[in-house]
Amino acid sequence: MKVVICIKQVADKDARLKINGAATWIEESELAWAINEADLFALEEGLRLKEKHGGEVVLLSMGPARTQEALRKALAMGADRALHLDDPAFEGSDVATAARIIAKAIARDGFDLALFGVQSDDLGSAQLAPRVAEHLGVPHAAIAMGIAVDAGSGTVTVKRELDAGTLEVVALNLPAVVSVQLGMNEVRYASLKGIMAAKKKPIAAIKAADLGLSAAQVGAAASRTQILKVGFPSAGEKGKAEIFGGPPAQAVAALIEKLRKEAKVL
Amino acid sequence: MGLDFELSDEQRLIKQTAKEMLAPFLARREEYERLILKEQKFPQELWNAMAESGFLGCLIPEQYGGTDTGLLALAFAIEELARCGFGNALTVVTAMDTACIVRNGTAELKQRFLPGIADGKIKLCFALTEPNAGTNTFRIETLARRDGDDYLITGQKTFITGADVADYMLLVTRTMTRDELAAKGMPKAFGLTLFLVDPKTPGIELQPLPTRGIEGFKQLAIYMESARVPATNLVGQEHAGAMALFNSLNPERILAAAMACGIAEQMLDRACSYARERKVFSGQPIGKHQAIQHPLAEIRIRLEAGRLLAYQAAWAFDAGKHPGVVGTYSNMAKHFCSSLALDAVDRAIQTFGGYGFSEDYGIIYYWDAVRLLKTAPITNEMILNYIGEHVLELPKSY
Repeated sequence: MKVVICIKQVADKDARLKINGAATWIEESELAWAINEADLFALEEGLRLKEKHGGEVVLLSMGPARTQEALRKALAMGADRALHLDDPAFEGSDVATAARIIAKAIARDGFDLALFGVQSDDLGSAQLAPRVAEHLGVPHAAIAMGIAVDAGSGTVTVKRELDAGTLEVVALNLPAVVSVQLGMNEVRYASLKGIMAAKKKPIAAIKAADLGLSAAQVGAAASRTQILKVGFPSAGEKGKAEIFGGPPAQAVAALIEKLRKEAKVL
Repeated sequence: MGLDFELSDEQRLIKQTAKEMLAPFLARREEYERLILKEQKFPQELWNAMAESGFLGCLIPEQYGGTDTGLLALAFAIEELARCGFGNALTVVTAMDTACIVRNGTAELKQRFLPGIADGKIKLCFALTEPNAGTNTFRIETLARRDGDDYLITGQKTFITGADVADYMLLVTRTMTRDELAAKGMPKAFGLTLFLVDPKTPGIELQPLPTRGIEGFKQLAIYMESARVPATNLVGQEHAGAMALFNSLNPERILAAAMACGIAEQMLDRACSYARERKVFSGQPIGKHQAIQHPLAEIRIRLEAGRLLAYQAAWAFDAGKHPGVVGTYSNMAKHFCSSLALDAVDRAIQTFGGYGFSEDYGIIYYWDAVRLLKTAPITNEMILNYIGEHVLELPKSY
């Protein structure tokens, strides 16, 4: 059983975000980085599948040199090896382009199951997993809250989260792609033994040329969407975001009031 | 230009592991604070987590089941424990005893004890202080006499932290009395011998002392009357325990400094959060007032300096620097950080005003714990004596 886990390095949840000078993205210098939260649940699930069925857990991540820290952490948590899509040409890839690149890399290495976090903490498009599945021509299930593999029949049964707390159960033939919902399991942390062992685990760098892709097929050049502007929501404008200030008790009371009277969801 | 203050990826990961290990406990912080600081109960679940994560094996070579990640890694964990409000003196003492076993024990002794320490099954305390001897170590009177394959130990220890929960104590004894040494014209540093002793050994009696200040632990008096301890439990050479002992005191001081930094950071975080929210005059948060803000800013500056000093001391220990060098940094770090932590609690109490004394806010619990760090594991005055004599090369002052 070979499970590929796709992880993304994003700004740490506790980091204080600033907008960069061109207002096109967050300021990345001096930023603390972390593994995208949903991806951690995918990794945990992959590690559990390996513990149950044997085989291999392979990490895949696209990003600059700093991404190695995220890969090293995931290796310390128990993954066996990592593939790092590390090529300046990949920079500026939108989700459609990233999906093409990642699908090529997964196909090249081979897989039985590819797990993704349901969405990224920064862009949050939730498109990567289904797009990769389409490129690979394999079945896909999104927002998994439970995954069970039957190695004998070569299938994976996925409990998918639907609205209003209902679950849908689907069976997919392997190989397959599944995206994992937050809270699906209890994520382990890297033990010191894991951290020491990770130092010896391989991280293989992959360039566009290794995947048979030209510079025109990757990065900003190949992407049909681009981020024009990034900014903080302005507080107080009707119909936009509102930040509840004051002591926590007061802020919570104000929030509940809004949820009841304006959003009418409580 | 080799000076680099950036933590390596591996060190950052180790810090993250300490944080992630403690996250589930942090969710139950009030319960644990009450358990540890008020009820003086041993937090077994926390100990298990320290073992599972590998922090109890930081000083232990991999061949004995440790992680061999070093004292700096353990200092990260102790700092984080203290930052979360879970200071744990027994981790400090166990680490110090472990360093002593690793550096001085026979292969057989290491095989018997180190794997159990690494996986959390063996907790250690440290028994040096006696009613008439503490800092003046050479005056200890607890006597160990050879009897066949064993030693018979008689004497009294006091203020022994965690002796009631420890599985073994690193016991400092005399195998030659001061009179015997004087008769032979031998130095007073000779004749000290270290043993690992099970506090439940027949002939040993423990009596809790009514003291405060040690998070989660009691301090006990230990009475020993012909307690039989196998010679195979001797750590290092008979009569030559002094150097082994003194070299093991450095890790204790370094970890005490790391703990002090963690507490100082916690106090600073709590005080700043409160100062941002609390409004007293004209609807302004009290943090806007310089009388509140400046002392907190000063604590922040000193925290940065203290942490660097503590890390430098741990680095010197891990790098195998001369014990004199490690001693200099570890003493400096312990002195600086213990004063810092006490001032941090003081400023937090002052920032909270009357609530600083409220058991609901819990700041006041830290007062005893932090005040202790100026007195133990060594008094700050003795540290100044050490710096004066050994660093400044001034005449010995006591």
